[in-house]
Amino acid sequence: MSVILAAAMVAAVIPDTSFAQQKKLVLWTHWEQNPDFNKWYEAKGKEFAKKTGYEVEVVTIPYQGYEAKYLAAFMAKNSAPDMFMGMTHQWCGQYDFCDRMPADLAKIYDDNLPKYMVGVGKWKDVRYGIPIEHGNFQQMYINVDMFKKAGLNPDDPPKTMTEFLATLKKLTIADPKGGEPTQVGFAIRSKGHPVGITDKFLPFAHAFGARLLSPDMEKATGYANSPQMVAALTYFGDLVLKDKVASLAFGNPEDAFGQKRAAVIFRESWFFGWLKKNAPDVNFKVYALPCEKACPGAGALFPWTDLVYKNSPNKQVAWEFYRFISNANDDMDHHQSQGILPVWTANLDSAYVKSRPDYQSTKDMLAQPVPPTYFHPKSNELATAFGEAVVGVLFGKGQPKPLLDEAAAKMDRILKD
Amino acid sequence: MRQWLRIAFPRNYLDRRKRAGFLFVLPALLFFGSVFILPLAQSIMYSFYKIAPGGASEFVGLRLYEKVLTDSTFWTAVQNTVQLLLFSVPTTVVCALAVALGLNRIANLKWRNLWASMYFLPFATSLVAAALIWQWIYEPVYGFMNYALSFVGIPPQKWLQSLFQVRPAIAVVSVWVRIGFDTMIFLAALQSIPEEYYEAARIDGANAFQKLWYVTLPLLNAQIIMVCILELIFNFKIFDQVYATTQGGPASASQTVIMLLYDTAFKFFRFGDASVMAVFVFVTLMTITLLQWRIFRKPVEY
Amino acid sequence: MANGTASGSTEIEAIVPVRGRAARTVLTSGQVRFRWLITLGIACGAIVVFFPFFWMAITSLKTAPEIQRVPLQIAPDHWLNLANYVEVFKRENFLRYLLNSALVASIAAVSSVVVSSLAGFGFAKYHFPGRDVFFLAIVGILMVPFQSVVVPLYVWMNRLGLLDTYAGIVAPDLVSVFGVFLMRQSIEMIPNDYIDAARMDGSSELRIFFEVILPSVKPAIATLLIIKFMWSWNEFFWPMVVISSPQMKVVTMGLMSFTNMYFIEYNLLTAAAVISILPILVIFVTLQRWVVQAVVMSGLKG
Repeated sequence: MSVILAAAMVAAVIPDTSFAQQKKLVLWTHWEQNPDFNKWYEAKGKEFAKKTGYEVEVVTIPYQGYEAKYLAAFMAKNSAPDMFMGMTHQWCGQYDFCDRMPADLAKIYDDNLPKYMVGVGKWKDVRYGIPIEHGNFQQMYINVDMFKKAGLNPDDPPKTMTEFLATLKKLTIADPKGGEPTQVGFAIRSKGHPVGITDKFLPFAHAFGARLLSPDMEKATGYANSPQMVAALTYFGDLVLKDKVASLAFGNPEDAFGQKRAAVIFRESWFFGWLKKNAPDVNFKVYALPCEKACPGAGALFPWTDLVYKNSPNKQVAWEFYRFISNANDDMDHHQSQGILPVWTANLDSAYVKSRPDYQSTKDMLAQPVPPTYFHPKSNELATAFGEAVVGVLFGKGQPKPLLDEAAAKMDRILKD
Repeated sequence: MRQWLRIAFPRNYLDRRKRAGFLFVLPALLFFGSVFILPLAQSIMYSFYKIAPGGASEFVGLRLYEKVLTDSTFWTAVQNTVQLLLFSVPTTVVCALAVALGLNRIANLKWRNLWASMYFLPFATSLVAAALIWQWIYEPVYGFMNYALSFVGIPPQKWLQSLFQVRPAIAVVSVWVRIGFDTMIFLAALQSIPEEYYEAARIDGANAFQKLWYVTLPLLNAQIIMVCILELIFNFKIFDQVYATTQGGPASASQTVIMLLYDTAFKFFRFGDASVMAVFVFVTLMTITLLQWRIFRKPVEY
Repeated sequence: MANGTASGSTEIEAIVPVRGRAARTVLTSGQVRFRWLITLGIACGAIVVFFPFFWMAITSLKTAPEIQRVPLQIAPDHWLNLANYVEVFKRENFLRYLLNSALVASIAAVSSVVVSSLAGFGFAKYHFPGRDVFFLAIVGILMVPFQSVVVPLYVWMNRLGLLDTYAGIVAPDLVSVFGVFLMRQSIEMIPNDYIDAARMDGSSELRIFFEVILPSVKPAIATLLIIKFMWSWNEFFWPMVVISSPQMKVVTMGLMSFTNMYFIEYNLLTAAAVISILPILVIFVTLQRWVVQAVVMSGLKG
């Protein structure tokens, strides 16, 4: 016991120094599932150090609770990172923790990002951050074998929501005893936080021509509960309740698809990497999402960007580092090291991207008009309120119209607060 | 005030004894004071401020209290938490007591330690790991629960996906994690009961049940109250298990007060509202604890 | 030997645990059956409680596709598939995390025991002004949701220069409210005569503490040590907030790195969880023996 106490006192007194004299930029990220992507910053940092003397240290934060850690560090100021990965409209809009991007660098990004991504990293038209994730929008993954077995052509996917429903019906194998189907057409996300549920429902909403908020993002009533939204939510709820082509009893949608119990899933581009690891025997193809009145297009609720902390003593050097890696080659290298999609338009037709199963589908979706975005500081709270209506319908707690009316009223209250 | 002067400058033996008592308690008080006083005070201060976009805060007095305490989402969360409590607290205490009594009767020490260790093991896992393992056991299609139930002919249940089963299911996780903790406390106390009491009861002709009711339980009274209070506090503050698995779903059926507090503070950036909830939790728990303390605490002759 | 009695049940000589020792007494066959039932019940309960661990260990031997397999298969394809364990150590500096957690948890446990037993003594056997208020204040700390205090606490730690240090990680954990509670209960059970006798012999209060009190509450001390160690070992939120350097990370953070916003890597998570439980098991088994010894020795005093 006394040995432990002695060791403790020693340990407590000696601060743990690793980069003792080396100057460094600290970058915080919660992308723990992308270790190669994170290590790349450090590798580049070594090159950068030759020019400026500053290396780069990447600290990974667990996703669970990262908001608390970021907030605490930013409020304590001198323990905050120099650079961090987060959503622009939260850290730069809700709070004032971000440093403005220098104009020349901002122009580089405005010129080189795909159309739908130009708004990502901006708040009130000022650029603060660099988008780091392309393909963060849902696409349609289908199980080729299940399509064939149902007599459907896997090379000819449904193009409208109406066709989609018909296809799903053919892919569902009901239980003769009236229980849950043994196989469903669509792997629906029904569990978890309402924000995630809203995120997964948005393509349906946009396909029916609805939007969550007014274009100026000041009002929800009239938009979140518009007739188009009601139609979209009715369609979505009917998948489970009336048409029974989706089921709430199937747990995780990714698992359901991987276990060949669901034939179609809408997921982002990280999904085929997961499939390769967890369900390598699933024969799949990726297509653009079905449209209806409009096309869902490439949109997302969670635009991750690399930002610079406003009160960092090293912010000039931080921007220097970002400038150092802001070119098409590095963008390509960086994302390819982890197997995710690069962000620069110039790279979207490279051999690497062309070799991915979602190449064509991504192109198709990028060709569609940009859907509404909701980069509002209160986006989490608004999405939670809206998500409660979606979940309410799915779990039979009410009808779409009254639940949406309630959600819209709540969202207005949030916006006005 | 006079009393404090006498502690500082003791005039007689009794005063010195009182001072000694205070000094024994002082390290703990100092520690808690130095680490927690400032953060606590600040946290309460937050409940009177609102953070506007951009980061500036404005003083709003009791407005946030009004807002939070009239919000139906908040009361749903409270209701969910209370339901969870009603499942987990009595179950944990009763089961832990039963197990401790049973363990106490096992003669062979090696076996007793083995079984005791197995009961205690869940406490050794982090709440998050435990919740994730259980989530997987509860999986409707490939989880073990439904697999086992299928052998007795029960159709697969939705567990964490069901509006009604989710709370008991989460309560089970809490019971599982904490039962060993309480069992150890009861067991340690049981082993300290002098055999003379049981001998006396036996001579009076008491059977096993009477011994339990008239000798054991009253002597364990203090521990039972302590365990009840602690279980109440820990289960009221339930967070990790819910956050790691259902995140408050489905349809807010498992959203607890602390989950709502966390979302409000860190996902919705409304620190003031979250602080109001914290004050609410504190006041509620303090009130209930005081009531438990007053009503159930019986002085026991040693 | 079995003897017939008037009531028709057989009397059997059996071994009965008495204050940790085994003693021979005479029981009826009914009572023996009763004991066997109890042992069976305890054993069954232990197996049920242990099951999720078994499940966790089994899962850590499966590959990711195996885990996903439907219908459920209990046994892994290859019983000695340690690939997950290798991957865990490759991906994260888990050995370092284990050391960090061990250091932090040890300090927390020891410091808790020291301060809590002092405070427990003061609360249990002394009367000084404000005693109950202070006690309630300490228990009140437990009632404050940590999530609402974490940001001010972090800012405060920053001002003290303790961020990202072992001292900073362990700071909120140095004293345990539960410890004060437990010690108070246990010390209350010590008959006042012992203390008065020591006082009449002229011992100072501090000597009474060391020579009368501490030896009498050895089981409680061991319990507190184990529980506090485990509790600190499994802390996630505060270490996550206060640690920024990779080499200061603790085991729970390592565990969480196998979960992310999209999916959970169950094969690696379970392997990491098994790794993180093993040290605790070792400590528990060691301390358990000491508890037993302590109780046996105190049993001789009776």
